[in-house]
Amino acid sequence: MPTISLTQSLVISLIQCVLVVVFIFVVVPLTVFAERKVLGYLQQRLGSTRIAGHLGGLTGLLNRGMWKLGKVPVLSYWRGLPGLVGDVMKMLLKEDILPTKADKFVFWIAPALSFVASVVVFATICFVPGTFFTFPTWVPFLGGLPVSGGIADVNVGLLWILGMATVGVYGIVLAGWASNSKYPLLGGLRSAAQMVSYEVPLTLSLLAPVLISGSLKFSEMSQAMAVGVPLWAIIPQVIGFLIYLTCGFAETNRVPFDMPEAENELVAGFHTEYSGMKFGFFYLAEYVNMTVVSAMAAGFFLGGSWLLPFGLQGVVNPYLASLPSWLVTLLCEPHAAFFAIKIVFLLFVFIWVRGTIPRYRYDQIMAVAWKYLIPLTLVNLVLAAAVRLAM
Amino acid sequence: MSQSVHPFLPVLVLFLAALVVGAAILVISGKILPAFLKPNHPRPEKLTPYECGVPPLQEGARHRYGIQFYLVAMLFILFDVEAAFLLPWAVQYKGHLGTFWPMLSFFGTLLVGYIYVWGRGALEWEC
Repeated sequence: MPTISLTQSLVISLIQCVLVVVFIFVVVPLTVFAERKVLGYLQQRLGSTRIAGHLGGLTGLLNRGMWKLGKVPVLSYWRGLPGLVGDVMKMLLKEDILPTKADKFVFWIAPALSFVASVVVFATICFVPGTFFTFPTWVPFLGGLPVSGGIADVNVGLLWILGMATVGVYGIVLAGWASNSKYPLLGGLRSAAQMVSYEVPLTLSLLAPVLISGSLKFSEMSQAMAVGVPLWAIIPQVIGFLIYLTCGFAETNRVPFDMPEAENELVAGFHTEYSGMKFGFFYLAEYVNMTVVSAMAAGFFLGGSWLLPFGLQGVVNPYLASLPSWLVTLLCEPHAAFFAIKIVFLLFVFIWVRGTIPRYRYDQIMAVAWKYLIPLTLVNLVLAAAVRLAM
Repeated sequence: MSQSVHPFLPVLVLFLAALVVGAAILVISGKILPAFLKPNHPRPEKLTPYECGVPPLQEGARHRYGIQFYLVAMLFILFDVEAAFLLPWAVQYKGHLGTFWPMLSFFGTLLVGYIYVWGRGALEWEC
């Protein structure tokens, strides 16, 4: 273990941060695109197909290849992908409107707050426990130094995630307040009340993994929930997972709970008065939050960077040890790819639910949070504690 | 297994990086692009608060709104403090009987308060 200087650790952290920011700016547009396509197919249409790219471009190449293979390129899953560039250009170039009645500083700071709070959550999410890769020795300044699989796998990781995820509420409330208009104010208040209500069952449902692993560190919790638990951990945590996912949908204001964007009653909710890149920040923050919720669900309940979820990996591992060694490495060892696949699957679930479940009424949303989810999470927690006691 | 001189240093680095990225996007879209690409044609009608196309009926929007929102905030404070209280217990629990019964009595107290709140109708949304 080579000793590490301040400058070296700063450089390594900066590299990791750049990786995470790149990850965000790759995953978010692809999720937006996937949302259009998947929603389209769920509603028996083709999704966005108009912008298919120049014939000489990548999509043109793919489309021509599909013609040659005898497939109709209209069904090409990549059609519409270049439209993402148009989206980004539009957000950057659209006129910024600053309403005369608005509180100018807060109006400006709210979307940035939303964005920063959603990105900073990634600090303690650990993609692979331990070392992600080690710099080869020929690298000039950083040769031989390990880069860990998370930016900072600190011992209060879960607290950091929960705390920073809550800061995102401020962005929404401040946006609604600063607009000084009736729809944004109502939308902001409603979504604040909703997010605050679902915060409680969310925290309580995450207490069960904490209780099982005895740690708040993301990698330790993920490991304990994937390989560290014997068979009994499987059943109770399915309930915890479903409760967590429900609360995650509500926290990110996604469809069955998308009160702030209830178009038919509140126009566009808290971002009615926003345009251009300021709106783009809210849009970005929503998808980053989706990724964070998916990453946490994958890490705590679906086995993180291990193959199997809900502690099944720990059950199966002894039986797999007789397999060929490369297969054991693949099936029993953590990989960032497994984590990424689980995140992508959960993002697909987000879109799937959006295409399937209609929006609830506001009083129904609050009733679900306070009357059903909180008692359920408490029962789940007591059950987990009792089972842990019995072990 | 530490790759850093202090475990929280990378958190600070990511925070600063997020601030820089956010500020850079805001400056590019708000200061640099308007100079030559972005339209900027403010009109009084365009800058009034949006109320479905009609002129705003009252001055400003900050009027009275439902007391229910305050109630939810108060309940949130109560229950979230309890969740925060449960976190250290969950970390230190490790299947000990000595911490199981006290926490069960805490849950019992919580349940009494919860039933009281429900009985008083604070969980019903009326608006």
